[in-house]
Amino acid sequence: MNAPSPALVAPRPERLRLVGQRRQLLAVMHQRLMFGMLVYAGIVAIIALRLLYLAAFGDHAGRKEGLTSYIPERGDIVDRNGDPLARTIDAWTIAIHPNKVIGDKLALARRLAQLMPEYSEEQYFALLKSNKTFFYLRRRASPGLVEAVNAIGEPGLAIQREPDRLYPQTSLAAHVIGYTDIDGHGVAGMERAFDGELAASATRGQPLMLSIDSRIQQALEHELLNAMNHFSAIGAAGVVMDVRTGEVLAMTSLPEVNPNLPGAATPEARFNRATQGVYELGSTFKPFTVAMAMDSGTIKSFGQQYNCPHELHVYGHIVHDTHPFGRICTVAEIMEESSNIGTAQIADQLGTSRQKAWLQKMGFTGPVPIELKERGRALTPGSRWGPFETMTVGFGQGIAVAPLQLAMGYATLFNGGVYHPPTLLKVGPNHPLPPGKRVFSEDTSYRMRALLRLVVMKGTGKKADAPGYRVGGKTGTAQKLINGHYSNTINITSFAGVFPMDEPRYVIVAMLDEPKATKETYGFTTAGWNVAPVVSGTIGRIAPMLGVQPDMNREPDMSQVLPFVHETKE
Amino acid sequence: MSSRSFRSVFMVATCAGAALGCYMVSLRVASERAQLEAVETRIVLAQRDMRVLQTEIGTRGRLSQLERWNAGAFALGAPSAEQFLKGGFELARLARPEHKVDFEAPVVLASAPVPVRPPVVGQPDTGDSGVAAAAVAPSALLHEASLKTETREVPARTVVALPLTAAKSTDRPATSAKPAKNPSVGKPDLAAAQPKKPVAKPAQAAAKKSVDKPALVTAQAVTRPVRIAKVDPLAPLPAKHSKGLTAEK
Repeated sequence: MNAPSPALVAPRPERLRLVGQRRQLLAVMHQRLMFGMLVYAGIVAIIALRLLYLAAFGDHAGRKEGLTSYIPERGDIVDRNGDPLARTIDAWTIAIHPNKVIGDKLALARRLAQLMPEYSEEQYFALLKSNKTFFYLRRRASPGLVEAVNAIGEPGLAIQREPDRLYPQTSLAAHVIGYTDIDGHGVAGMERAFDGELAASATRGQPLMLSIDSRIQQALEHELLNAMNHFSAIGAAGVVMDVRTGEVLAMTSLPEVNPNLPGAATPEARFNRATQGVYELGSTFKPFTVAMAMDSGTIKSFGQQYNCPHELHVYGHIVHDTHPFGRICTVAEIMEESSNIGTAQIADQLGTSRQKAWLQKMGFTGPVPIELKERGRALTPGSRWGPFETMTVGFGQGIAVAPLQLAMGYATLFNGGVYHPPTLLKVGPNHPLPPGKRVFSEDTSYRMRALLRLVVMKGTGKKADAPGYRVGGKTGTAQKLINGHYSNTINITSFAGVFPMDEPRYVIVAMLDEPKATKETYGFTTAGWNVAPVVSGTIGRIAPMLGVQPDMNREPDMSQVLPFVHETKE
Repeated sequence: MSSRSFRSVFMVATCAGAALGCYMVSLRVASERAQLEAVETRIVLAQRDMRVLQTEIGTRGRLSQLERWNAGAFALGAPSAEQFLKGGFELARLARPEHKVDFEAPVVLASAPVPVRPPVVGQPDTGDSGVAAAAVAPSALLHEASLKTETREVPARTVVALPLTAAKSTDRPATSAKPAKNPSVGKPDLAAAQPKKPVAKPAQAAAKKSVDKPALVTAQAVTRPVRIAKVDPLAPLPAKHSKGLTAEK
């Protein structure tokens, strides 16, 4: 119809011009139309394809993705047997929108005060009259209370479920597990150290398995708490560790904290004495000095003799003993009676550089090697590390380490001399045992067994003996540094024990901070009187759980040491 | 003709039918899937509820709570090293009955008379004498010692020891007592045997009592020792024995 018809009349020239323009215009229009149609067809095609795709492979609107098992909002933390230590559950929360309340506010306030007596009637009424938009009345409410509040029937009340972190074992292993803030982010312990894994959607379905055994943890906590209360100590710490893998089976710091109510704890209670606190642990260091001397060849046998006078004058200082020998004594006797004078001479023979190198190899000079973020750093004499400091470090003064480090050192010494870094994660397929690092020779490790068993059989650690479990160990009583001076009356007592000594499997370290003397201790505050019974009691409870068979007839090879002990009493 | 003219209609109908069929299949799949999802959702909800319940049980039975209960009520302690046994043999050794000396039992001597045989060789005379020897043998070989210590007079022991002796006395002479009753033996013995019966009942009663409240009975016995010792049916034992003995005679 737009095609030009044959002209009957000669067209006027302007008209001819017009026809040419129209043609051009028409062509352009055709092009545009075609383009528009293509675009339209393309869009339709895309939509159709998308529809077909969705019909074939897509999900319908109500589909939830991959919901075949319940995945909590935050990963669980379980102990090595799979018992839950921390869980996130949906807890009921009761809140109120004061501006949406339509009922009688006074009656509502009265009813709320009856149900939740933490606030008074007036306070509830003031709250309802205020212009706040939202206010939590109770988090983690019990179902009974929720039902009662729901029965009020007030639309301004908001009752909802919120994920809430719950620690079923309450204060058990609280310093290891840690706790979360109100938004569910870890702020202490493993909750903090593994916050990313616990919160990430990819990993939170799998619980975080700790190396802690809750039964052993409970036994250790209970015994330590009893001792702490009995001796009126201001604090206590304890560690149980697997010698062969470096797994921490129990670790506690007292006073305890309830992770369900972390806000109620004092800063003192939140402080982790086992990893954060560093203490001069005293004589528990002496076995390391002897082992170093044996490994470097300065001690050939436990019969090697040293002069042990009543007091030792060295480098312008005087070294004292609690039970001075006043005679020549052997290495075995030095360890049995925990002689500072003897150990100081052994350390002096060893020399500063070798001592430093060894302590470094054992991890006693740096930060505590553990997953927790709350960890301290060992204090050493540093630049002042001279010959006298070498002596004092030899008997455990002038160097401050965390109780966990001490346990780690004993584990190294009795694991055939091989160091494994301590870990709070269960060693298994998901967390393989890292290769160890040799620190002491195997022979030294073997011979030290008899020496430490001697301390418990005949020496200062008699009260730590759990019959049948072949406990070996060393007591440590360190004077506490108060205002720059060592106090004569205020101590930190510790005991580092290993059992069974004929085939060492577990290390236990217990520490009491400022224990007081009681009638039963005859006024003594030394470790042999207050911490050693804790170790004995704990081992008596935990050894059967750990599969250590008691045997009254087995002992380590005591012929290494017994000939060198001078018996006076018997 | 008609088929050709309706061909397009058939085509359309077939296409529509096929499309409808496809849609039905898809719908069916979707509904199955929705049901499956509903089940899965229920599973997940159940898992969540289980977690909540497990957590509640775990919290109520937490170790510190158990420890508190133990301290307050049960007072259980860790086993000591001696309580561990290495195997079945050690366990069996614990169950070995304790060897007890029964002071109440009469002293019995055994003496076998030398068989007096006619020194006739080649005549195996087993007939009479052998049978007679066998009949006499069990009781005749045993003789109670004539000297008796007055152990029975110890008042505290009497009542407790009673059931033991009574039981024993009935057990042992079962063989010897039988011949004692039936044979031709003596009326005088009946007189000796008679007091046994009335006495035996109090014995049982006493035995029952002693089972119920041994402490009480012994306490009473201590307060009045002599009377009990006399009335007390320790009699059955000597009576029987005397009977047995007499029966033999």
